[in-house]
Amino acid sequence: MQNVIVYVQHKNGSTPKVTFEMATLARKLADQLGGKAHAVVVGAGSSQLADTLKSYPLDAVHVNDDAQVDGFLLDPIVDYLEAAARAVGPSLVLVANTLGGKDVAGRLVARLNAGIVADATDFKIEGGTVEAVMPKMGGAAITTAKLKSADYGIATIRPNAFSAQAGGAGAAVQPIEKPAGKSYAVVVENDVEEGTGELALEEAPVVVAGGRGLGGPDPFDQLLKPLAKLFGGAVGASRAAADAGWVPYSLQIGQTGKTVSPNLYIAVGISGAIQHKVGMRSSGTIVAINKDGAAPIAEFSDLVVVGDAFAILPELTKLVAASKA
Amino acid sequence: MKIVVTVKLVPDPNAEKRIDPATKRLVRTGVETVLNPYDEYALEAALQLKERIGGDSTVTVFAMAPEALKETLRKALAMGADDAVLLSDAGLEGSDVWGTSYAMAHALKKVGFDLLLVGGLSDDGSTGATPGAIAEYLQMPLVTNARKADVVDGALKIERETDTGYQIVKAPLPSVMTTALTFGEPRYASLKGIMGAKKKTIAAMTLGDLGLEQPVGAAGAKTELLAFAPPPVRGKGQVVEAADGAQGAQVIFDFLKEKKLV
Repeated sequence: MQNVIVYVQHKNGSTPKVTFEMATLARKLADQLGGKAHAVVVGAGSSQLADTLKSYPLDAVHVNDDAQVDGFLLDPIVDYLEAAARAVGPSLVLVANTLGGKDVAGRLVARLNAGIVADATDFKIEGGTVEAVMPKMGGAAITTAKLKSADYGIATIRPNAFSAQAGGAGAAVQPIEKPAGKSYAVVVENDVEEGTGELALEEAPVVVAGGRGLGGPDPFDQLLKPLAKLFGGAVGASRAAADAGWVPYSLQIGQTGKTVSPNLYIAVGISGAIQHKVGMRSSGTIVAINKDGAAPIAEFSDLVVVGDAFAILPELTKLVAASKA
Repeated sequence: MKIVVTVKLVPDPNAEKRIDPATKRLVRTGVETVLNPYDEYALEAALQLKERIGGDSTVTVFAMAPEALKETLRKALAMGADDAVLLSDAGLEGSDVWGTSYAMAHALKKVGFDLLLVGGLSDDGSTGATPGAIAEYLQMPLVTNARKADVVDGALKIERETDTGYQIVKAPLPSVMTTALTFGEPRYASLKGIMGAKKKTIAAMTLGDLGLEQPVGAAGAKTELLAFAPPPVRGKGQVVEAADGAQGAQVIFDFLKEKKLV
């Protein structure tokens, strides 16, 4: 495979940051493979998004504002991507490792008869072959795998693992033709956005997470949120806090929740059971505030402050606010 | 309605995983094999749907695993599944996501179903791509991350979680569905269920039954594992006792400053 194709997941033109990380990565990989970097953006709001994507170092952005993409689940997107992949020729397809991305990636595996490397955090090109580095089993192992086929390969990309950088000569924005003769069965009757304006947990550069030690829902809003906000980050939680109903499950980090790898992870009142550890152990720096200095979290934190989180957090928030002022 | 649920058998995720530095393989000794926890949620969803639809609805559990792990499937039967099918073959060893999905799709076609539930994620591999690939090989719709589902007028009405919120979708039968953890906590097996599970059937299937055109197993894999290493060691950091809130905050702030994080 020589070329790289980025699947741009978006809703009405609004896309997660990982799209730009992939656009930047695509250029680098395409150069090493000796091919071109493409992006495919389809559905309502695509033209507008393509305008933004143009400033990233891609060769071509293939666009169609086809509203049918939003009216039916998944399959129209897969048809567009398959058509683009066939037109471009042997290529590596990059897809964000998000809920929506995984669905697309799965169907493409069968559609393109291709291998997949999942949740990649780094790449190496060895003699024209793509090798991906992937943390597995909640970071208990770091695996490296190569895509063997010369035709097509799929890679899902972990958000926040690659940097996004605009630049380049300006991509050619061109229309992509709607695949002919297709009919779709799964109708989207209602599409509801929740928590818009808030940063996705997986994409946050800083995560401030709370656990059982916080004792209730209020400290998440009153103590954690202000600090997270100062950092431009997000609030997370342990399973205990989600199970207790203090926060929605969408904030849960760990085995049965989300996997995050922010630059900074602040764990407040979280004991650090395996269940939680696997969802955050690959974070850059880990700071824990806990009443118990012997809690499991001390084993994998860079700094543990033993004390009362209710007293420490407001003071810390003040210090950080002053430094940003 | 015939509901089939695929389950994966994985090393107990609650056990600390270790890589043997000599063999570079996962240490499995002393680690029990269990049903993939995500798949227990899919099974719970299947059992709920069976109860709601009633009639002569059945739930069949399907797994692709070495024959030696057959008895692990009893737990699913004890939870309430009616029977099980186990696809085992030495030729499947070393299959990647592509090969696994390809073989499973062909086996599931033989098993037959009105609704297929696939666990969304596995604890050990975590690609999340298998349900999509299976649906594609079966030429069927895929609806993932369902948190509510019902059969209305012969079609599926599903509420599903998305990256930005949720959607309500309508899908025909047969379809492939995966469930979100919010569908409901998996039930415990009752004593009666555990006793009854011993008498339930676990049918055997092998590669010979599938008539595959492409090779699977390590020979057919489209990816190759090159390295399997423990993560970089994260040394135990410093532990500081805070005298009061202000001092504790200062310790953290100075540390973040040193790391250029503030």
